[in-house]
Amino acid sequence: MDYLKIKNLFSNNGDFALENINLDIQKNEYFVLLGQSGSGKTMLLETIAGLNECSGNIIFKGKDISLVATEKREIGFVYQDFALFPNLSVEENIRFSARYKKIEDAENLFADLIDFLKLDHLLGRDTQDLSGGEKQRVAIARAIFSRPKILLLDEPLSAIDPTFRNTIMKSLKDIHRRYDVITIHVTHNFREASYLADKIAIIIDGKIKQVGDAKDVLNHPANIEVAKFLGFKNIFPTIMLGYESSTKVYSVDPNIIRVSNNKQLQTDYIFEGVVDECMGIVDHYKLFVKVKQYQFFIKILKRDYEGCYADRENVIQIGFDKKDISFI
Amino acid sequence: MKALSKNNTFNITLVALALIVIFFLSVPIIKIFLGVGSEKLLETIKDGEAIDSIILTMKVSAWAMIFVLFTGLPLAYILARYEFYGKSLVESLIDIPVMIPHTAAGIALLTTFGDTNIGEFFKIFGIEFIGTEYGIMIAMMFLSAPFLINSAKDGFRKVDVKLEKTARTLGASPMNVFFRITIPNAKKDIINGALMMWSRGLGEFGAVIILVYHPMTTPVLIFDRFNSYGLSYSAPLAAVIIGFSMFVFLIVRFVANRL
Repeated sequence: MDYLKIKNLFSNNGDFALENINLDIQKNEYFVLLGQSGSGKTMLLETIAGLNECSGNIIFKGKDISLVATEKREIGFVYQDFALFPNLSVEENIRFSARYKKIEDAENLFADLIDFLKLDHLLGRDTQDLSGGEKQRVAIARAIFSRPKILLLDEPLSAIDPTFRNTIMKSLKDIHRRYDVITIHVTHNFREASYLADKIAIIIDGKIKQVGDAKDVLNHPANIEVAKFLGFKNIFPTIMLGYESSTKVYSVDPNIIRVSNNKQLQTDYIFEGVVDECMGIVDHYKLFVKVKQYQFFIKILKRDYEGCYADRENVIQIGFDKKDISFI
Repeated sequence: MKALSKNNTFNITLVALALIVIFFLSVPIIKIFLGVGSEKLLETIKDGEAIDSIILTMKVSAWAMIFVLFTGLPLAYILARYEFYGKSLVESLIDIPVMIPHTAAGIALLTTFGDTNIGEFFKIFGIEFIGTEYGIMIAMMFLSAPFLINSAKDGFRKVDVKLEKTARTLGASPMNVFFRITIPNAKKDIINGALMMWSRGLGEFGAVIILVYHPMTTPVLIFDRFNSYGLSYSAPLAAVIIGFSMFVFLIVRFVANRL
């Protein structure tokens, strides 16, 4: 049985709509919702939390909670900017939920959170005096202290100094396991998603475009829209490789394409093209090569191709192997 | 913020013009205290009629403010948080009393709460508006409530709605969120608005005099003494009410800044 099932969910806030959202999330799954800004990620989290009106069903452990009030849904929410209550101290923030519901084994949980998230020295402080990382730890502790079954994280790493992100990503994984929660983590960052996710859903314009195991989604986009969003380059029709279908497309990684100006390539596919542009960037060149009407984007390392020998208008060969192609 | 440089023509012009308005705002206040002198001030403080009117004015203005805290805060919150049909009309309605002449407002109140069906309706509960403290209260409320409502609305707008949403996920009901998160985080604007309303209420004259001549609020008493006995009888009372208002205003500001 799915632990959290979202079925035919629609929500409209006047300017933007979530349309027909269907998701199945299993117990203890770390689920990442990947999408650009304005794609509806936060709105979907808020709808799951009961903060937006919606139609459809949100089923948690077999029970429809779509009409249950937010405060009764057993959900923890951490916003991108952490939304710490400025009128309360750090400790009061963490203990906030205890005022409104019975927290099982509250003192042990509090002590454990303080220890695990290293908050001991911050308890008496004002929330305005905390750094981004400290605020995030307090916000997570506050959410976990309410003993949620589902933890919703809205871009939790975007306000964090990049040097600490790896450590925090590891902590998020640990929190998820340690406190036995389903985590739904919203981000626009593929790196975050690939490190953290057991399962990924891609959301574009309020619609879920692809859901599946993290590796599968990130390596095998279901359509051109998802492929483009995931940063796939060189998306061209397979007909150019000799396949018959004119509707299918393929993509090839710009780092894998080989280049030659003296016809010495030994790859499965070789094309002749005209250099449109060659740009030197720190340790590599960016080459734009026109093959018939298709423009390939290629990255070549400076140490492999000394000097950008392929000047504009030069005819060169480009090539890649079948194993390096992703069919979409 | 940088210090104001003195050797620059633009800054000198700014300071000169600013000094004119500071002079205009402060000199009459200083002058009334200096002109009256301490002896007359003490005499006025001991004068029962004067003190009664000051207490009445402060008390009724405070009641008006408290009433608007209960009814105006929910309105301010609705305006700050929700979109609805006719919202701009409601916002304009709130601002109308600030724009109209106060005597005209008094007449409008008289034609509503005087010898009318609405006035008769309130009489059932023993509430009469002509010549009573209730009349003073509605006159003060009508003309000064916008200060509190608009200030509270600005305060509520400054409270990030995500704080309220997070509090809901932590188990707090909408009512708990309002009292525990929204109001405490908007308290500066609410207190400022309440102070503005209260102090505007103290000074209300035009509408009050049309509804209630007796019992006399301080502005009415000042007018009455000025009309009957001249400046030397009304100035000490004016100085005392200005002094009292400033004193209470400073105390409340001081306490509010420490909350």
